[in-house]
Amino acid sequence: MQAAEPGAAAGARVKARFEAVSKRFGSGADAVQALEPITLDLAENAFVCLVGPSGCGKSTLLNIMAGFETATTGRALMDGVPVAGPDPKRGVVFQQGALFTWMSVLDNVAFGPLAIGKSKAEAARIAAHHVELVGLTSFAKRFPYELSGGMQQRVGIARALANDPEILLMDEPFAALDAQTRELLQEEIKRIWQETRKTVLWITHSIEEALFLATDIVVMSARPGRIKARFAPRFAASNDPAVVASVEFGRMKAEIFGLLRDEAIAAQSQEAVR
Amino acid sequence: MTALARRRRSRWLNLGSFAALLLLWFAVTAPIGEKPLVPPLFLPSPMSVWQAFMTLMKNGYQGKTLAYHLGISLFRFGLGFGLTVLVAVPVGLWMGMNESVKAVLDPPIEITRPMPKLALLPLLIIWFGIGEVAKVVIIILALFPILSISAMQAVRGVGRRKIQAALALGASRATIFRRVIFPASLPGIFTSIRVSIGIGVTMLVGAEMIATTAGIAYMAMSASDFLLTNVVIVGALIMAILGYALDLVARAIENRVVHWGGKEG
Repeated sequence: MQAAEPGAAAGARVKARFEAVSKRFGSGADAVQALEPITLDLAENAFVCLVGPSGCGKSTLLNIMAGFETATTGRALMDGVPVAGPDPKRGVVFQQGALFTWMSVLDNVAFGPLAIGKSKAEAARIAAHHVELVGLTSFAKRFPYELSGGMQQRVGIARALANDPEILLMDEPFAALDAQTRELLQEEIKRIWQETRKTVLWITHSIEEALFLATDIVVMSARPGRIKARFAPRFAASNDPAVVASVEFGRMKAEIFGLLRDEAIAAQSQEAVR
Repeated sequence: MTALARRRRSRWLNLGSFAALLLLWFAVTAPIGEKPLVPPLFLPSPMSVWQAFMTLMKNGYQGKTLAYHLGISLFRFGLGFGLTVLVAVPVGLWMGMNESVKAVLDPPIEITRPMPKLALLPLLIIWFGIGEVAKVVIIILALFPILSISAMQAVRGVGRRKIQAALALGASRATIFRRVIFPASLPGIFTSIRVSIGIGVTMLVGAEMIATTAGIAYMAMSASDFLLTNVVIVGALIMAILGYALDLVARAIENRVVHWGGKEG
C-alpha cells in the first residue's frame, strides 16, 4: 500500500519524499518506536493531509521534513536532495506560540525576507503584500498579543509565505481556533493554495478539514506510526463551501472516521499501559 | 462588583491601611498627659523626624550636605549595579547559548550564590581598604549570580517553536540571537534587575555601616551612636524611598522596553 499513489495526479513530479523514514526516541529499554519506516511521496502542487491519532508520529514526520529532527533510519528528500536542516525553501506554520511577540505583524512577516538577505525596503514591500494577502493590512502595526487567535494564525501563514517557499509544512495550524474562525481560515487557505499552488504537508485531527482541503489524505495508525490508508478527495479544487454537504464527502468522512476510531482506541490503550 | 469597583476598593483599603499606621505612629508618640506612650529615644514623633529632616537639609550632617551623603550612596549603588548589569547579563546570555561556557562558569557562580556576601566585607576591606572599591565590589558580588543565572535561564526558556520558526525562515545563528533569543529573554532579565535593586540597596546599607565617613546609611549608623533617633529614622526612610524610587524607574523602563510582557502570541 505504501508504494501506491492514488492521490498523486498521474505523471505529477515528486516534489518531496519520505524514504523509509523511521524514528525512535530514547534508547535501551525506554526507547519508543514513534514511526515505522514510512515511504511517502509528495507530488508537486499536492495538498497532502496527514491524519491520525495523537502520538502517531505525524508531527515527527513533519519535523523531519522541516529539518528540525533527524530520522533514525531513512531520509527525507526535497527535489531529490536530502534534507540536512531547516531551509527557507520549506516554510513552517505552527499551531501557536511561534510568533515573535516583540515584533509588529509587519516585522514578523518581514523577518524571513530580511533573514535571507533582502534589503529593508524590499522586505517591507514583501511583508506588506503578504499581510494584505491574509487580510491584516489594517493590523500591520499591531503586536501579536493584540490579535485574536485566528488573526495570529494568519500572521503565521503570511510569515511562512513571505519567503516564497516551495513547500509549506503546517502542523495543526488551526487546532486551537474556534469552529467558525477555523472554517473561514480553511476557505482562505484553500484560496491561497489555489493561487500559489505550493506543495503542502498539513497535519490535522479534523477529518472535515482534511477532506475540504486535501488532494491527498494519508491516514496513519496508532504508534508506532504507519500509513494505514490513503484517499484522494476531489474537494480541494472546489470553491463551494457547500461541498461538505455532498454525498461523496459524507461517505469518505464516514470511512476515514471508522479507520481513525480503531486507531484512537488503540492509542488510548497505549496511554493506559504506559 | 466590577473590576473597576474592586480596584477602587483595594485602593481605598491600601490608603486606609497606610493612614492607620501613620495614625498609630502619631498616637504612641503624642505627649498624652505629659509623657508619650513610647519615649522619643526609641521612637520620635513624626514631627520630630520631619524637623530633623529639615535641619539636615539646611545644615547637613557632620560637615557634609545631605545631598552629598545621598549622592555618595547613589554613586556606590549605581557603579556596582551598573557594572554588574553590563557584565553579568551578557555572561548569563552566553551561558544560556553555549553549553561549554555554562559548564565552566556554572560551578563558581552556583557555589558562591547561597553565601551571604556581607560576610565577605571584612575580607574585602583587607584587600581593597576602606575606600569605595570594597563597597562597590560587595554589591557586584551580591548581584552577579542573580543577574547572570536569570539571564541564562531566560535564554533557556525561549520557546523552541520561536527558534524553529526563525530557523525555517532562513535566519543565521547571529540573527536568531539578536532578533529572537535576546528580545525573548528581556522579560526574565528585567525581573531579575528589579530583584537586584532591592538586594543591591541592602548591600549598600550593610557596606556603609562599616568603616565609612559618608553615605545615608553611615549617617544613620553614626547618629545612633549619639542617640539621635530622629536622624536614624530619616536615614532609614531615605533608603526606603530610594529603593522604592529605583524600582519605579526600573518598572517604567520595563513597561516601555518589554511592552509584550509575559503575553503570548
